Amino acid sequence: MKVRLTLAAVALTALVAAGCGSSSNSSSSSSGGSSAAASASSSGSGKSCKATIAIEGPFTGAVAQVGLEQLHFAQLAVADDNKANGTDVTLAQDDTQLTPSLATQKTQSIIATPAVAAIGPAGSQEVEAVGPLFGRAGLAFISGSATLPALTTSGRNPTFLRVVPNDNIQGPQDANYVINHLHPKAVLIIDDDEAYSQGLVKTIVPILQKAGIKVNHQTLNGTDTGATLANAINSLVTSQLNPSETVTMLPWQAAANAQQFGLEVAKQHKKTVLFGTDGTNSPSQFKIVGTYVSNFGPDISQSSSALDKQIVSGVAQFGAYGSFGVPTYAAADVEMKAITAVCKAGQTPSRSNVLAQIRKTSIAPAANPLGVTIAFQKDGDIVGQPGYLFKIESGGKYAAIPNK
Amino acid sequence: MHEFIQTIINGLETGFLYALIALGYSMVYGVLKLLNFAHGDVYMIGAYIGYYVLQGFGGPTALSIPVPLLIFVMFVAAALGCGVLGVGIERFAYRPLRDAPRIAPLITALGVSFILENSVLLLFGGFTKSYSTNSFINVNTGGINIGSINIDPVQITIFVVSILMMYGLMQIVDRTTLGKSMRAVASDREAAEMLGINVDRVISYTFFIGSAMAGVAGVMSGLAFNQISATIGFLAGLKAFTAAVVGGIGSIPGAMIGGLFIGLCEAFASTYISTKFSDLIVFGILIVVMLARPTGLFARPALQKV
Amino acid sequence: MPIGVDEWVAQHAERAETDSGWRGTVARLGTRVGWWPRWGLAVLAGLFFGQLALNVNIQTVAVNCLIYAILAVGLNIAVGWTGLLDLGYVAFYGFGAYGYALFSSTALGTAGSGGAHLQAIETFAIVVVATGIFGALIGLMALRVSGDYLAIVTLFVGQAFFEVVNNVDTGTFGGVNGLFGLDPVHGFGGQITTPKGYYYLALVVCALLVGMLHFLDNSRTGRGWRAVREDELAAEAMTVSTGIVKVMAISFGAMVAAFAGCIFAAQQDNVFPTNFTANILILIYACLVLGGAGSIAGAVLGGILVTAGEQMVSSPTDAGYLFYGLILLALVMKVRPWRLLAGVLAGTVVLGLALHAIVAAISSTAVAGQPGSGGWIGSLVRHWVIVPANAATYGNVLYIVTIVLVFAIVRVRDRYRPFLLAPTIYVAACCWESRLVVNPSITAQILIGAILIATMTMRPQGLLGTMRVEVV
Repeated sequence: MKVRLTLAAVALTALVAAGCGSSSNSSSSSSGGSSAAASASSSGSGKSCKATIAIEGPFTGAVAQVGLEQLHFAQLAVADDNKANGTDVTLAQDDTQLTPSLATQKTQSIIATPAVAAIGPAGSQEVEAVGPLFGRAGLAFISGSATLPALTTSGRNPTFLRVVPNDNIQGPQDANYVINHLHPKAVLIIDDDEAYSQGLVKTIVPILQKAGIKVNHQTLNGTDTGATLANAINSLVTSQLNPSETVTMLPWQAAANAQQFGLEVAKQHKKTVLFGTDGTNSPSQFKIVGTYVSNFGPDISQSSSALDKQIVSGVAQFGAYGSFGVPTYAAADVEMKAITAVCKAGQTPSRSNVLAQIRKTSIAPAANPLGVTIAFQKDGDIVGQPGYLFKIESGGKYAAIPNK
Repeated sequence: MHEFIQTIINGLETGFLYALIALGYSMVYGVLKLLNFAHGDVYMIGAYIGYYVLQGFGGPTALSIPVPLLIFVMFVAAALGCGVLGVGIERFAYRPLRDAPRIAPLITALGVSFILENSVLLLFGGFTKSYSTNSFINVNTGGINIGSINIDPVQITIFVVSILMMYGLMQIVDRTTLGKSMRAVASDREAAEMLGINVDRVISYTFFIGSAMAGVAGVMSGLAFNQISATIGFLAGLKAFTAAVVGGIGSIPGAMIGGLFIGLCEAFASTYISTKFSDLIVFGILIVVMLARPTGLFARPALQKV
Repeated sequence: MPIGVDEWVAQHAERAETDSGWRGTVARLGTRVGWWPRWGLAVLAGLFFGQLALNVNIQTVAVNCLIYAILAVGLNIAVGWTGLLDLGYVAFYGFGAYGYALFSSTALGTAGSGGAHLQAIETFAIVVVATGIFGALIGLMALRVSGDYLAIVTLFVGQAFFEVVNNVDTGTFGGVNGLFGLDPVHGFGGQITTPKGYYYLALVVCALLVGMLHFLDNSRTGRGWRAVREDELAAEAMTVSTGIVKVMAISFGAMVAAFAGCIFAAQQDNVFPTNFTANILILIYACLVLGGAGSIAGAVLGGILVTAGEQMVSSPTDAGYLFYGLILLALVMKVRPWRLLAGVLAGTVVLGLALHAIVAAISSTAVAGQPGSGGWIGSLVRHWVIVPANAATYGNVLYIVTIVLVFAIVRVRDRYRPFLLAPTIYVAACCWESRLVVNPSITAQILIGAILIATMTMRPQGLLGTMRVEVV
């Protein structure tokens, strides 16, 4: 008994001691594992370009799937760029679990580290929470998935940038495509009760109604998982999907849930064309034939470009491919290139010069996976705001539809 | 009418899963008075075991053995795997705390839950895995067809296997020596120990049986709903806990009825009222039930020992 | 409200088991110093900590520590003192935070009216009283059900709170997008904008609440709470009005949580529904139980340790120190005599070096990877652990092997145990370097789980809790 108690006491003391010793430089890590380390030694120029960038995302918890995908793409981008430019940039991970209060805490800890730029956070509500903090610290942060329009227009987030189009681009694009090409009399639209989904629904519904389409708007409880979620989805198909609703729009965060919806539609012998958005854009998970899926990034898994092929094969060493993470690759890439440019100009990367360099970004379509020129507007939105649309063909292949 | 029957089927499908998980909850509570919050994660592990058995036999599109055999192997593997896991969890996280304040094992249970969930994230990645049941079982037109309503083979399997397992469990508890020991331990652990019952062993068996049922439920959930991920356990555990309590915690028929009751409530609430508030509605119904019958639907009125 | 108390129950402290040895001596010395001097010392330490020139990050962590300390102290009333399993506690916290947000932003009133923007002292008063009433209503429900059935009813309250702020009246509550741009705590011509300011605010609030609760603990009400926890039937027989006592416990806890909620909302400058989910409830429970349910000091300590610890494990460098440090500590504490300890340590080192040399001789790619730890740990273990070039699958296998070996160590006979120790430590280290440390977020959660289990196993009553003799 005595030994046990002593052990507990000493262990706790050690815990506290270790915490005091080094919590000031928390969460700087060597990441990208072996490849990042290998590239450091391969740096040709005598003076190495050292810096740290941080990524915020939900790497554990309910939406770990989304966060881990983004993380793997960011790791790949950092490793690739380190190798290509001989830089020595490390990527620190900060897990937010999609919770704004955690994101605030992690942001404070990023600000306390020497990090010169940040990637993420994933959710719009998180950006709302951390934007002013990053702004005060003069630290650029680029999100690969926060699409709420107000984030760039409110003026609260001066150092926020994003490489994805906002809801005011994607929503109308999807709504207009439905109106002009699918000609439904009525549409069932289901949001999944979180910021991303409700934001899109808010822009889509008025456009559909204006075109004289009857809209049946339902909500799925987004905090549900597994059997409970399946029960709700099955019930939605049973009760809400009316024969006149030839199009069902699913602006959801999780592709797997959309797949479940599609399977249940077939099982209950109902007919409707599904229309998903970027959250559901995942060739490995959402493969109901005949479905339309829009995205804020392209699907590069079928692409013939050398860069895209390299990314698709490269990400495998970190985790599975999904097109949701592609914009995060672009976000990391923008920051890496900015750091390289700062170093080339003979400066040491700092928050201010990296931010200034990021604002000047101009990456040619061939040199990034988004397939458009990456450049930022004054408010932080990407210039041109590209949107993408796909139709799922037999075999689960995502065929790109040129925007109409 | 069509909608009504379909809703019942939806509700039963989920309800049987809740019931199977709730049984384990209720049994453990019976013998240990312990809220085993890691139980939902054992169910999740069961789903993953089933998935890898499926992959081991060639994957959903290129199966190397007949489907009924495959499903049998999945059930057995998940039951054994989860059973052993459950015994291990009890040995490591609960046994040292058997005489501790009641709230202490609650925290170790949460610790186990953290470890299981994140171990799966670490080992198998964050990506949702899919059983792709429709590529080896005809779920759209197979099974029993009543008009336009289809009860598919997976649903039939769920109904039949669940009922068999519940019947088996009741037989074990009522008829066998092990069951007698379980009941003895449940009603008074110390007295049971004095009468020469090996309490540790009885508790281990209880965990084995309860976890095995959760494992089977995990495989069923994969077959029925395709998608499995590391996070399906927590909510399922919570629902099962609710089911166990509503039925009268510690009561085996109570846990079954409680599970089915919640599954059906969910289905009817989402079909006829609102999916947005279905959780609230279900909880609301439960609160009314609880307030009307404070010790659950099936629990005998507790005699208070003074 | 006449409350008579069983003398024996009232003197429950007398029944506490005291530890033997030096620890017991320290504990007895501690009790000789009065409660108030100890309280004063703790507050002084807190003030001193605030004076240290620490960066904003540590200050924010410190504010969070205090917020969780307050929350744990509040939860202690219902759970630790009265023995009610309240799973809806996070709703009171959220109620407080949303209350502050509503009165300190543009959310209330007609559009264009500019909102309420009350002074902080008014907001705090209104919100705390309102939360107290809300708590009392929930407490009334608690009268009907008891034991674990209460857990379900309160769980519903937590869930319902989330659904309401997430879905109902999104114009006022902001829905999923929350309320932001709140006023800082202001009044009497000043306002608090820095984390340091919030640290002092939280410290003062925490100290005052702890002081008040100490009075309450030693009052008739406090004795009533403990009487209900020990034996409700006996308490009732002794004319304790158990109903009122229970409602008061939940309501008082709610008021304490409301304070924490107000400070949280003001310091964050925003509120979102997802800040008040079951995860947060779990964290508060961990704080309370780890610190010691039933002890105010334990709750405060738990709040501070859990929050600081969580912050620490999510930093890969610190997690590395923690991992190797804990292994070393466990060995030093558990392995006796010292010759055996030296043998195990030497064995581990030699085993690693030998294996590394053998594997390197067979295949150079098998040791091509770098240890995931940076810094001096990384360079120290570089020629000791085996990390292949593509380490993911290898690391996964080692992870499972580690778990199996740890199981085996606990199960085998004592005399075989030392032989298993060296390989287990070595395998664990290889797994750490090849897999765990490169996934710091997931590893952090696994470590939290392991630490929770280990701490509770070693000290089931919590760090500062007292083990009571069971009433048979």
